[in-house]
Amino acid sequence: MATITPQRFDADTDASEPRDLTIRKGPSDRLFDGITSASGLLVLVIMGAVGLFLTLEALQSLEAVGVSFLTETSWEPDRGQFGIASVLLFTVLIALVAVAIALPVSVATALFIAEVAPTWLRSWLISLVDLMAAVPSVVYGLWGLYLMQGQVIGLSRWLNTWFGWLPFFSVDGADPSSPLASATVYTASTFVAGVVVAMMVMPIQCVVMREVFSQVPPGEREGAFALGSTRWGMMRVVTLPFGRGGMIGGTMLGLGRALGETIAVLLIISPRFDINFHILEAGSNSVSALIASRYAESSEFGLSALFAAGLALFAVTLVVNFTASWFVARSRSGASSEA
Amino acid sequence: MAAVPLGLTGANPVTDASSYQRISGEGSSWSANALDAMRVNVQQFGITVDYNPTGSTSGRKNFLNGTVDFAASDIPFQFNPEDGSAPENPAPGSYAYMPITAGGTAFMYNLRINGQRVTNLRLSGENAAKIFTGAITVWNDPAIAADNPGLTLPARNIVPVVRSEGSGSTAQLTAWMIDRHPQIWQAYCERSGRAPACGQTSFYPTIPGMIAQNGDLGVSGYVSQGFAEGAIGYVNYSYALGTQFPVVKLLNAAGFYTEPTPENVAVSLLKARINTDESNPARYLTQDLSGVYTDTDPRSYQLSSYSYLILPTRVGGQFNEAKGRTLGAFAYYAMCQAQQQSASLGYSPMPVNLVEASFEQIRKIPGVEVQNIDIAQCDNPTFSADGTNVLATSAPQPKACDARGPLQCSDGTAGLANVPTPVNAAAQGGTAPATGGAAAGAGGAPATGGGAAQGSGAPATGGGSTATGGAPATGGGSTGSGGGSATGGGSTGTAGGTATGGAVDPATGAVTDPVTGLVIVPGGSGTVDPETGLVAGAPACDPSTGVGCAATGQNPTAGQVAVGAVASTVIPETTPWDASIAFVVLVILLVLAVVIVPAVAWRRFSGGVPT
Repeated sequence: MATITPQRFDADTDASEPRDLTIRKGPSDRLFDGITSASGLLVLVIMGAVGLFLTLEALQSLEAVGVSFLTETSWEPDRGQFGIASVLLFTVLIALVAVAIALPVSVATALFIAEVAPTWLRSWLISLVDLMAAVPSVVYGLWGLYLMQGQVIGLSRWLNTWFGWLPFFSVDGADPSSPLASATVYTASTFVAGVVVAMMVMPIQCVVMREVFSQVPPGEREGAFALGSTRWGMMRVVTLPFGRGGMIGGTMLGLGRALGETIAVLLIISPRFDINFHILEAGSNSVSALIASRYAESSEFGLSALFAAGLALFAVTLVVNFTASWFVARSRSGASSEA
Repeated sequence: MAAVPLGLTGANPVTDASSYQRISGEGSSWSANALDAMRVNVQQFGITVDYNPTGSTSGRKNFLNGTVDFAASDIPFQFNPEDGSAPENPAPGSYAYMPITAGGTAFMYNLRINGQRVTNLRLSGENAAKIFTGAITVWNDPAIAADNPGLTLPARNIVPVVRSEGSGSTAQLTAWMIDRHPQIWQAYCERSGRAPACGQTSFYPTIPGMIAQNGDLGVSGYVSQGFAEGAIGYVNYSYALGTQFPVVKLLNAAGFYTEPTPENVAVSLLKARINTDESNPARYLTQDLSGVYTDTDPRSYQLSSYSYLILPTRVGGQFNEAKGRTLGAFAYYAMCQAQQQSASLGYSPMPVNLVEASFEQIRKIPGVEVQNIDIAQCDNPTFSADGTNVLATSAPQPKACDARGPLQCSDGTAGLANVPTPVNAAAQGGTAPATGGAAAGAGGAPATGGGAAQGSGAPATGGGSTATGGAPATGGGSTGSGGGSATGGGSTGTAGGTATGGAVDPATGAVTDPVTGLVIVPGGSGTVDPETGLVAGAPACDPSTGVGCAATGQNPTAGQVAVGAVASTVIPETTPWDASIAFVVLVILLVLAVVIVPAVAWRRFSGGVPT
């Protein structure tokens, strides 16, 4: 219960100055202020604690290898040879593939739900997309391993056959012209892992975008219609620009999830430790999958090395999220985002 | 299966469900199928055991960390690892090894010729090693063709599928390669960048073109996919049975291509040297398999091995005496009744000397309720009244067409045993005689082949036994001194194969148990037919169908029937299809009810779509 009381007028004060206002807060206000700011601070403290903890745990291994941690590709900590270069590269590649596939799908889905779908269908679709987000990632992993992988191979081969001249799509050991060529060169690849992660990222992006699209001011939307715009024209000039912040935020949120996805990637990939940009080629890696597969069998020093890898992932994720919030903050006011 | 309701033996765990504390274990995925069956079966006694097959390395590590109550590992603790990894240093006296099951590391493959799945592939050890080291890269390599005269293999790339995490199977495979094919391994080790740490390793070094998957389940899952044509991976035999895939018949030192059936594994492991130095718990009961690799029994399989439980012998961490009581009861069950089921799963049951030693190891668990088990009541299919390994003595001899040479059997293997692969006319030879009066002839045939291939061939010249009909055998008939192999364990006895009127199968009769020093004389005066495994005079039965064989409990080809028939205390396998389908439907409904309905209901009753 805040009450604003003007100060008593004194002859000493200069009448030309505005009066000072002091705010006397009631106890409930102060309590509320305290709780909210403490919660806000707590988030920062937790984040800081996570970073500090990771750094402390990683120190032992980082001191041992120094800067070569960033350039070394192999991962054999017990022999003093380990680095993040290869693992982090594959992590980023998987995430990029996932976002590249998920982004168009989620934008289209969100637009359809927010602008096109009839009301009765809309609630169903929203439930379904929420359901997709709720499916545990190990389920996606098994599904990707046993069903999706076999289907994606065809796409991989097609891309390799016709776009193999692009460095990304070339595959060592693949021979599209041979009928006896083994399809296994296209399995367990960055691309397959990326496709499965895309399925997990898509609903998250979609939820954020749909929320933003549904908050488009009705006045602007109807104004566009009134000026003779088609529905697609309205989306182009009103919905999409209004929702740009949300789209970027949702994408970045999805990217963050894709970077950290563990079990589905672990199930699909065949770990490899080198620098390789061929996303269709067998073998990939990811920081979180590396940690998941190695932490149980690592020595003390090996664990420290895994903490260092975790720290690197943490840093990358922070950068991604700060970039996202910077974009969101720059976008048009009123366009909200849950990122 | 008709489970005969026998009286419960004294070996039963106490059925006091209330006081068994839940225990957890982690480790080998190689032995996971056997352990899972045991886990399920002990639930009837109120014993709950959680087991997580994350690989042997991880199991040992978590045992050391105290986060699990017991571990399962294919290899012992690595005090001096040879691959550059950090040594494992368990506190002395805090653990004990207990062999839990035996089996073969099988090469499971996915290969078709003209659309027809190959089920009878054969490989020499050298070629297998070369495949897994990238030295042979296509299936139509002349070296592989030499192993398979009956097959015209396609020009497909070979895709070796290995384990991505620390694994006991990898350790066993690399140990075998280092022992048998050191140059091949050394060259690969250098090529893969692992050098100079080129010793036995649990972490398989990979090169481009290989696929690494997590766990036996991951490897078998990958190989069995439709797209994985050309893939070959190493897994426990039971996984090939489970996924209904064939395995490679591996060439043994006797010149025969064999698959790791429970019987063949039992035969092979007679040559495993078990450490019997009880004063050194870090080594006690561990295995030295070098004798298995060079076993000259025609039935042996080179990559046979035991898998172990690592039991805690001290209270500490989360492990207490109440858990020790549970673990003890579980271990007793695992060593006694559970062994009846092993063969039907693709594992080989424990022989009597290891069961006895294990009972002593179980006594070291704190809080265990010591049970005085009459070992004869265990119904273990390897036991016999005179201490011989029945499974090994009754194991059928390989067919003539399984010998190295111009012939090749068309019979399928492992999960596709009943799916033959047609072989080229030149490699067909005579039809493989498997039944009736032809057994004697068949028994002789491999003996000659083996003898010719071997040169020395003393124990290999088997087959000299009475045929089913009681006709005297024609082949073999060696004196059965068994050569050096019989006395390999440094123990007594040179089983006199002549004792029983020349009717002893010298291949088995000559074998001495390396640990106990027991002279193994085939039970029933050794008139075991090498082809069908039937004791002479037993009612004849069809080995391919198992009809009429169930009663003997010794016919290995009817192993499943026989084992099931004596499995009195095992829960009958009542999992018909309708029950599992109902279960699946139930789960689907449950998912719908829990996930979809609340979401829809919430949308409906909270005022529709938020705008």
